Amino acid sequence: MDRCSNCVLSTSFPGLELDENGVCNFCRDESIVTTEQKIIDESAVQVQQLIEGTKGKNEYDALVCYSGGKDSTYTLMAAVEKYGMKILSFTLDNGYISPKAFENINKVVETLGVDHFTFKPSKTVFNKMITTSATEPVYAKSSLRRISSGCNTCISIVNNLALKTALEKNIPFILAGFTLGQIPANSIIYRNNYPFFLDSRKRGLEILKTKAGNAVNNYLTISEELQKKTVEYPYVINLLCMESLTENQIIEAITPLGWERPGDVDGCSSNCRLNTFNNIIHQKKFGYSPYELELSHLIRKNQLTREEALEKLLDQPREIYESIGKELGYLDN
Amino acid sequence: MSDRDKLMDFICRNFMVEEGEFLLDESLIDQGIIDSFGLLEISTFLKKELGVETAQEDMNRENFGSFEKILAYSSRKREAVYG
Ligand SMILES: [Zn+2]
Repeated sequence: MDRCSNCVLSTSFPGLELDENGVCNFCRDESIVTTEQKIIDESAVQVQQLIEGTKGKNEYDALVCYSGGKDSTYTLMAAVEKYGMKILSFTLDNGYISPKAFENINKVVETLGVDHFTFKPSKTVFNKMITTSATEPVYAKSSLRRISSGCNTCISIVNNLALKTALEKNIPFILAGFTLGQIPANSIIYRNNYPFFLDSRKRGLEILKTKAGNAVNNYLTISEELQKKTVEYPYVINLLCMESLTENQIIEAITPLGWERPGDVDGCSSNCRLNTFNNIIHQKKFGYSPYELELSHLIRKNQLTREEALEKLLDQPREIYESIGKELGYLDN
Repeated sequence: MSDRDKLMDFICRNFMVEEGEFLLDESLIDQGIIDSFGLLEISTFLKKELGVETAQEDMNRENFGSFEKILAYSSRKREAVYG
């Protein structure tokens, strides 16, 4: 497979051009890094001011989308220990979270002493949504550069549940565990224009509904009554984007909470087995991994070596793909 | 390069479409070209390349609802700043 000699982007990655040294146009564009640092600095000031301005005024200061992976574990810890916020955390149990990840979730929320709930959507509906995401054009082509279609569906459910919960409980902030490379720099802190945001979901929502039924609405939309609370709309903040940490530093920081890496997930995940299925489907369809953009970004920022990134990309156990594929009814038993 | 050309070039390169392949007076979202992160990417582009700062509350259908609307929004904002 041909890749950039500096990062790990494949030649099949959209818009990729290699120069005579085999270096890609993303690695050559220095303006990416400088613009980003400016946005990070501005965001950090804004985040600090907003948090200080609302702390202690509501039942919870922030809602944390807690998947049990290393990044959201770090985010949860930082919210409590560094920012001193009163937190409500939740986990979406999609049915494919590693058992070890659930042990991590329990240990971490207990150690940090935060309130936590788990939401498990209907398995029939969820599985249908995932297989539809694997076979149908649910998302814009450009979205799929940074995330697989299946993961996008799962994260959309998480985001929607977060928005619903935050609006119901008047929680001013939603904290997610995304890192730069997974999201654009100016989404470190943002507030959606909901009607417009809903439009961006409409096409995909209709496709998902044709296969998985109207139950999809429960997971990907919020009631009109809640939508009207736009004045108090929560901000979404990705705290981890403002830190410059290597993976080892993150793991070192969360180990005292009792967090241990699960052994039954692929190299790109630290909590979810469905990830492998989604990755392999994406790779087959588009010829590159949905993690290439993120890992390449980390390489350019010296937070990961190229060898480490390659090891993660290539560690996609076939047996996980097959067992999940069968469970989903995507592959024959 | 004019602002129009710059914006067109950015959208084509960044969102994997070609000029003529999409409608200029219809929402890029409705046409399946961008998602909500795409809007944020466009606002970064406006700031970086055209010097136009997008206020959070301006990210709505009136201002970002099509290629033409984005272009009109950025020139309005510029006039407001530079008179
Ligand atoms: Zn590269």
